[in-house]
Amino acid sequence: MGLGLLSNTLVLLGKELRTELRSRELLTTTVIFILLVMVLFSFTFDPSSSDARRFGAGLLWLAFLFAASLMLQPCFLREQTNDTLSALRLAVSDPFAILLAKLAANTLFLLATELLMLPVFAVLYNVPVFPVFGQLLLVFFLGSLGVSVAGTALSAISAQARMRELLLPLLLLPLLTPVLVASTQVTAGLLDVQPFVQWKGVGFLAVFDLVFLTALWLFGEYLLEE
Amino acid sequence: MKKQAAYAAFVVLLLAAAAYAAFFIAPTDARQGVVYRIIFLHVPCAETGLLSFFVCFVGNVAYVLKRDAKWDWLGVSAAEVGLAFTTACLVTGPIWAKPVWGIWWTWDARLTSTAVLWLLYVAYLLLRSLIEEPERRALLSALFGIFAFIDVPLVFGSIRWWRTQHPQPVIMGGPGSGLDPTMKAVLFFCWAPMLALMVLLMQSRYRLEAMRGDLDVVRREMETA
Amino acid sequence: MKNLNSVFAAYLVAWGIFFVYYLTVARRAAALREELEKLKNSLPRNK
Repeated sequence: MGLGLLSNTLVLLGKELRTELRSRELLTTTVIFILLVMVLFSFTFDPSSSDARRFGAGLLWLAFLFAASLMLQPCFLREQTNDTLSALRLAVSDPFAILLAKLAANTLFLLATELLMLPVFAVLYNVPVFPVFGQLLLVFFLGSLGVSVAGTALSAISAQARMRELLLPLLLLPLLTPVLVASTQVTAGLLDVQPFVQWKGVGFLAVFDLVFLTALWLFGEYLLEE
Repeated sequence: MKKQAAYAAFVVLLLAAAAYAAFFIAPTDARQGVVYRIIFLHVPCAETGLLSFFVCFVGNVAYVLKRDAKWDWLGVSAAEVGLAFTTACLVTGPIWAKPVWGIWWTWDARLTSTAVLWLLYVAYLLLRSLIEEPERRALLSALFGIFAFIDVPLVFGSIRWWRTQHPQPVIMGGPGSGLDPTMKAVLFFCWAPMLALMVLLMQSRYRLEAMRGDLDVVRREMETA
Repeated sequence: MKNLNSVFAAYLVAWGIFFVYYLTVARRAAALREELEKLKNSLPRNK
């Protein structure tokens, strides 16, 4: 069973990545959105170096969260408009593979945009990120995974409701509060004048990811019901 | 109908008794004077709200597994009632805070977490209002309800951890922290009317939802007739 | 007893919230009951 799930997931993941890399519209629009938010944020406080270090982590993660709540919209809407979900369900033995593939793809897309935007943030706000790049990568990965797990599940839900574009952020953002809190704290620690790793925060993120992955595994098939 | 009216009267009596205890039996607090008595309302509201959301969670899981509409009716009733209690908690908090701290709102761990909790269940009800088909609505809102409830300990935990990084005034102290035994007893007693009220409100809301279900059935009968 | 007003306000507001909720539910239930009766009465006629 395990091998079947893994191979199904990898095949579907390949499909998701190929679809996106062909048009790159999701990645492009998400990157531009984050850039936009970063510029707009600069008007809301005096971007001196000490303030930027204090507020930068929050601004970064808020930008990522808002971008994600937009980026996750097409996740299941795409399948709806082309009516491909039933075909997908027939193609795999375990429906969890569909969810796993989508959340893996979303995590990768999010991570890619975050890493692209990191140097831009460093330049715009004069915050050194290179010395702590490895640790930042860890918190970006754990945070993006959390966002994707919750976001993929909620995207499946909101795709079947009215006003879905407005609904997804309303469902997703309160749910992701722990991710925002923990990621911001860890990132702030890393961007500090004397960088340090908040392992408790990293632990929180890992727990969040684990809990929601488990919930998705337990209840995911119901999300995909016709 | 008579039974419910009698029960409602009983609940009102309990609420009155609790208010009496809160005003006259609990001693005056040396530091805060009279205003701390809001605690006998604020804390039971918060805890009853959480209990309601747990009932909602039970209904959600049961619906996903059994697909009996009754569990959906329980879920929505518990969510609405939980929201009513949480709203009362969020409103009485600032009414207490203003005279004591001079500010309406503090982003202390518990108030902040309660605000997020409130937003989560408002989202639950919003989701329901945006899906027309009853079975779809029941299933999807149940799934969101499950995710929302398992998020609750994570929300409270992460916000409390964050707040201990940056200590802030803690509203109300902890439950029972530095409370004298009479106060503790009164607080414990004040929980009972809230529980009774929760049951009353859930019952009436459940009946309303059950009637809606009946109406759908009758309407469908008419269409096929 | 300077802050007594706040305590009264808190109790009034909280009880008010529950009372208003109970009233709205009761009102919707009464309206639904009426509609249900109407429909049930019209049903045998259609058959």
